[in-house]
Amino acid sequence: MHITRKEYLLEQKEKGRRLMGVFPALYPREILWALDIVPAEIWDPPLEIRQAGAHLQPYICSVVRLGLELILQGKCDFLDGFLFPHTCDSIQNLASVIYDFIGARKPCYFFYHPKIPHGHTARDYYLKNLKALAAELKRQFGPLKMDSLREKVDMGRRISELLGELYDLRAARRLDASNEAFYRTIRKGEYLFPDDYIAELEGFLTQTRSEESRNGATIILSGILPNPPQILTLLDDLDVQVGHDDLLNGSRRLLISNEKPGDPFEYMAECYFHMPPCPTRGSSISDRMRHLLSLINATGAKGVIFNVVKFCEPEWFDVPNLQEELKKRGVPSLVLDTELNQGLSGQMKTRLEAFIEIVRVHRESITTKH
Amino acid sequence: MKDLGAPLLFRIMEKRKKKRLREPNPFMGPPLKCAGRLRQIMTRHYYLSRFAKGARPVAWVTSGAPVEILRVFGFYTIYPENHGALCGAQKMGPELCAEAEKKGYHSDLCSYARIDLGHAFSGKTPAGRLPRPDLLFASNNICQTVLYWYKQLSHQWDIPLITFDTPYNFQEIRSGDIHFMVRQFEEMVPELEKISGRKYSHKRFQKIIRIAAETSRTWGQVLAAMKHRPAPMTIFDAFVHLAPVVSLRGLPVALEYYRVLLNELNERIEEGIGAVREEKKRLMWDNIAVWFKLRDWSHLFAERGVNFVAATYTNAWAETIHHLTEESPFESMAKAYSLIILNNNLSHRLKLMEKMIRDYQVDGLVILSLRSCKPYSVGQYDLKRLLMERLGIKSLIIESDMTDFRTYSEEQARTRIEAFLEGLGV
Repeated sequence: MHITRKEYLLEQKEKGRRLMGVFPALYPREILWALDIVPAEIWDPPLEIRQAGAHLQPYICSVVRLGLELILQGKCDFLDGFLFPHTCDSIQNLASVIYDFIGARKPCYFFYHPKIPHGHTARDYYLKNLKALAAELKRQFGPLKMDSLREKVDMGRRISELLGELYDLRAARRLDASNEAFYRTIRKGEYLFPDDYIAELEGFLTQTRSEESRNGATIILSGILPNPPQILTLLDDLDVQVGHDDLLNGSRRLLISNEKPGDPFEYMAECYFHMPPCPTRGSSISDRMRHLLSLINATGAKGVIFNVVKFCEPEWFDVPNLQEELKKRGVPSLVLDTELNQGLSGQMKTRLEAFIEIVRVHRESITTKH
Repeated sequence: MKDLGAPLLFRIMEKRKKKRLREPNPFMGPPLKCAGRLRQIMTRHYYLSRFAKGARPVAWVTSGAPVEILRVFGFYTIYPENHGALCGAQKMGPELCAEAEKKGYHSDLCSYARIDLGHAFSGKTPAGRLPRPDLLFASNNICQTVLYWYKQLSHQWDIPLITFDTPYNFQEIRSGDIHFMVRQFEEMVPELEKISGRKYSHKRFQKIIRIAAETSRTWGQVLAAMKHRPAPMTIFDAFVHLAPVVSLRGLPVALEYYRVLLNELNERIEEGIGAVREEKKRLMWDNIAVWFKLRDWSHLFAERGVNFVAATYTNAWAETIHHLTEESPFESMAKAYSLIILNNNLSHRLKLMEKMIRDYQVDGLVILSLRSCKPYSVGQYDLKRLLMERLGIKSLIIESDMTDFRTYSEEQARTRIEAFLEGLGV
């Protein structure tokens, strides 16, 4: 598929589908799909901040500032509504700024997901919220047919399987794709309708599946999203593979459930509570650490890069403990404090290169010992 | 444990106080007589906390959490945010924040959290010593930050963390949200019984609820006294006198204290005593106090005949908590704690500010933009614009932090304040 995101979305609109601007990060996309709505996720639009500064302080993270900028520059005028999942304090208030003050002149929806440990109370509440959101959307966007929802849940499951396969192949070093190509493909899920996304993933799998094992150092990438993309290209240039990620818009959203879809709402709830740990869902540090270690073990990664968006509180609070635990286990890590779309500064590039040197030395010393 | 060493401590404090008596400010009215009593109450609270460990279960609690439920089980409660404010007022913010930063916590994170973590790592505190908790109790009705922060403490010390999850009110509060919160309370009870070793008593809970509601109501009356011209106290006083309704809510001592304070304020109103001798203009404050500038700013504004008579921050403990009812304690707690200003949409905040501006006859607004507090600060630029459009109210935005003065520029703030006051004609 060689058309831009905007062209694709306009094409969908022409087909009669409705378009929903969705802010990060966790939301039941199957409900939107079943209503023939294309979710267009808003993470890091490539814009210069010109108008958002009149509404948001400079210490608000660039995900939030760029998202607002996109709306203020009129680049969301062709969308039919907005959905704000409750991800953090800044997105929470941004939702209210847009809905109450700026007036997006479009329907706005809010989706709260529980922050307490996952038990019956949290599950029941999540389930009720799924149904409440469906009912709200139905009022605006027409009937929600259960058959259609079931079909979209199946498609969501297929997408998870394909993503899982891609991640597994990459972890086993049997994916012949650059880091940049991998994330460019994965991130198409931020706006493609499921049938197109499935085709895209299947095509990518066919093209990149490799019988030969790749060499080179492997690292784990943690954070919110793979931006600035120059991090990926630099890793490619250095012949370093991201073996797995702990990214909010990457593997932290992988819907994993062993349950077979019965009731679609029950299934969606089941998937939500089986997602990998994430601070935006209230996961404990121990759970995050266990997960990170499992990724390291599965991939043989020799280092972790925490690529953290500046001012992102959910991420920044956990980093010191995660780093400390990694250090105790002899796993080198690097923390990058990044602004979206700002490229890599010379200093950052040098730090990354130096880190990769350390990872390589670490890898060689382990290989020699064995 | 009740009076262990406390009388001796207070005598020492009184002696010290006499030694450092300051010249009264000629632009300000006489200080509140209650201030000494407040100091005693809070010092006693912190002092006794040193001996609480072992005698009573200890909980560290966030400022918006429904502490009433902990009181049923006899928890001795410590408020890290209150402690953060104390550190800020003592100008220890940067020192303690730096302790957390040494451990890798970013300087962009909430300074209350950094102070608390800095204290946890170094033991430094102006309060002598804080008891290590048996329980951490956090509610995200004030911010999500407290969840990330308390998670650190829980991990660091291997101490249980109970979270009270209050869904954000994007529009009106929903029955499903109330049900969710009530179920959380029901699930907390056996857990709290286990941690405290005490049984739940509904009768005791009802009594606590009654006291808490009455305390909040009385605090509201204390604040409402500032509607009078001249206002008998300033918001800088209120920032300090806020401590009992935050930290000791549900205990008789807080209620008794506010009754005494209210009497004093009523006496001052009758006698025409204002907190500022010549009250020319009245202002409202938005956001948490700048603890390290309380005294300086109260003097700076008083010198120009300007008094702060209202604040969205101090109002937070008067706005909803008095809705607690002993007939339906869980449900009323769910509503009261979920509907507080920071867990409510900005349309609600705008209406509240409009009402306060009218009720308190406010001439201008000072908005503190805090990088430490996103839920308070995101939306302030629009609030400023809309209040100007709707009420013609002039306002000033100051960028600062509540405790970490490394991010504060005195020169810049002074220049902006001076220009604002000139605009107000004082």
